[in-house]
Amino acid sequence: MEDFNPVTMFAILRESLGPWLWGLLLIALVLVVGVVSAAMKLRSARRSPKHPIIAAALAGGVATAIFFMLVPGWTMATHAALNGPVDYLAAILIAFIPGGGIAAMVFSMASWRCARRTTAVCDKSMA
Amino acid sequence: MNRRRFLLTGAALAAVNGIALSNVRAATSSAKARIVIAGAGAAGLALASRLRRQMPQAAITVIDQKTAHHFQPGFTLVGAGLWSPDDVTFRNADFMPSGADWITEAVAEFDPDSNTVATSSGRRVPYDFLFVATGLALDYERIEGMDRSLIGTNGIASIYANPPAAAASFRAIDAFVDQGGVGLFGRPTTEMKCAGAPLKVTFITDDLARRKGRRSAVKLVYNAHNPTVFSVPPVHDRVTQMFAARDIAVNFSHVLKAIDPGAKRATYETPEGVVTFDYDFIHVVPPMRAPDAVMNSPLPWQHGPLATDGWVEAEKATLRHPRYANVFAVGDIAGVPRGKTAASVKWQVPVVVDNLVAETSGKEPLATYNGYTSCPMVTAYGKAMLIEFDYNGNLTPSFPFISPLDELWVSWLIEEKGLKGAYRAMLRGLA
Ligand SMILES: Cc1cc2nc3c(=O)[nH]c(=O)nc-3n(C[C@H](O)[C@H](O)[C@H](O)COP(=O)(O)OP(=O)(O)OC[C@H]3O[C@@H](n4cnc5c(N)ncnc54)[C@H](O)[C@@H]3O)c2cc1C
Repeated sequence: MEDFNPVTMFAILRESLGPWLWGLLLIALVLVVGVVSAAMKLRSARRSPKHPIIAAALAGGVATAIFFMLVPGWTMATHAALNGPVDYLAAILIAFIPGGGIAAMVFSMASWRCARRTTAVCDKSMA
Repeated sequence: MNRRRFLLTGAALAAVNGIALSNVRAATSSAKARIVIAGAGAAGLALASRLRRQMPQAAITVIDQKTAHHFQPGFTLVGAGLWSPDDVTFRNADFMPSGADWITEAVAEFDPDSNTVATSSGRRVPYDFLFVATGLALDYERIEGMDRSLIGTNGIASIYANPPAAAASFRAIDAFVDQGGVGLFGRPTTEMKCAGAPLKVTFITDDLARRKGRRSAVKLVYNAHNPTVFSVPPVHDRVTQMFAARDIAVNFSHVLKAIDPGAKRATYETPEGVVTFDYDFIHVVPPMRAPDAVMNSPLPWQHGPLATDGWVEAEKATLRHPRYANVFAVGDIAGVPRGKTAASVKWQVPVVVDNLVAETSGKEPLATYNGYTSCPMVTAYGKAMLIEFDYNGNLTPSFPFISPLDELWVSWLIEEKGLKGAYRAMLRGLA
């Protein structure tokens, strides 16, 4: 385990994903910037993040569940191959990567929407 | 040897400690040594990459006529019908570190007494340090009636030969499952690379037959070469138990001696004499030995169990030749008790490189290799056991949360998604 340091892990990821790695890193960067700027926007508009967070959690949860179903197929296996807690945990963690991405996207979009105008779903509790 | 001694002492003064960050933080040496690496496979390329970084002033020459690079651990997945030959075929040129000189010829002669090797065109290449990384030769011809052109015909499979042979093997497995009959599996008595692979093919065939609803139409027999199916006792126990549960019969101490492809008959040597079995399908794992150039040199063991097939004499902790101190054997060719896997190469290469760096820097070489060997044992489509062990046969799991003897999807995930990237990173000296 001690051999799996960040440099080695990055080298393995780069070799496994090839040019896709840069695309994925770019998407991750865009999502992080999106979440941070949306949170700042909410704050400056003095809106509560409650509803965007709920929307993100719901979308992220559903997406993680869908990807959880798809993960074994990505490894050319079926769900019947999951054979122990560590298998389920690994599949959930992998599914959480796209699930987390979708949650970040939904949070950004919902926050911008809330910050821009008063809607039924955006309360003004921070005002 | 004078030049070598000069290098060892002279370079000591200039030894520097390298750049930050883990692997890359490894010590460096500024020795201007001439290093020859025979073979550009898993071990040869990993050595070249690390030596290039850790001994930047050394003149590194890699000698190998092969330009394609095969990710052999992936042959199992080609043989399972999941990957294509293209998935396991790279180009050596893409991994050759810049600054290394690559001679695209074979080494025809090793002359350690004069510190030179001769290439197939007759060119003599002198060295201060030699790394023998030629891998091994598959000796199909030692099985009477067998040659590699038969793979994919007459119910004969063998995933070992090359990627197209592995793909042809899957077609043979698939046809056998559809037609039914007796399938024979086994392994040779020689040392061999990835001793788990013959078992993996057996498990895959069983699982394919179950998935196709054809398990009752096939009889599967594993012919073990000695009284065990695997040399590590807990793995032997586990696999034997799984074979019994899956109705895979086992014959112990059966060694394939001859096949008659036309009659589909296989002959085995056993302690009780020669026995012959009819088959509809057979997975042939050839005897393995050192390539001719190594075999015909003074480098192999001169006596003992590793002498017969020409494995290079090496101290098991350092992989250094005991008679030629400037020669190291790395990878499959090393005459050590275990360690014929790419995963072993991953642990062997840093040991020999760090020791050479230390030595050429006037320090004591302290790194040791513990015999680490690993082979994710595929037990079904989507499941594997992540088996890792050392010279003493102790299981040495890398991940505390993955039990080595449990059939897990996460171990399959490592085999199917993780190994290729890790292997490629190893070739670049980064893993
Ligand atoms: C079917 C199969 C399944 C496997 N599964 C696994 C697995 O799951 N996990 C694992 O870790 N390992 C596995 N392995 C084993 C692994 O691939 C080998 O142990 C590893 O490739 C050894 O590296 P090497 O450099 O010693 O030999 P190789 O990678 O075979 O390279 C040897 C190189 O030397 C060259 N050469 C030969 N003779 C000469 C000469 N005279 N002069 C110059 N060059 C020469 C060859 O052309 C070749 O390029 C498997 C292997 C097979 C075949």
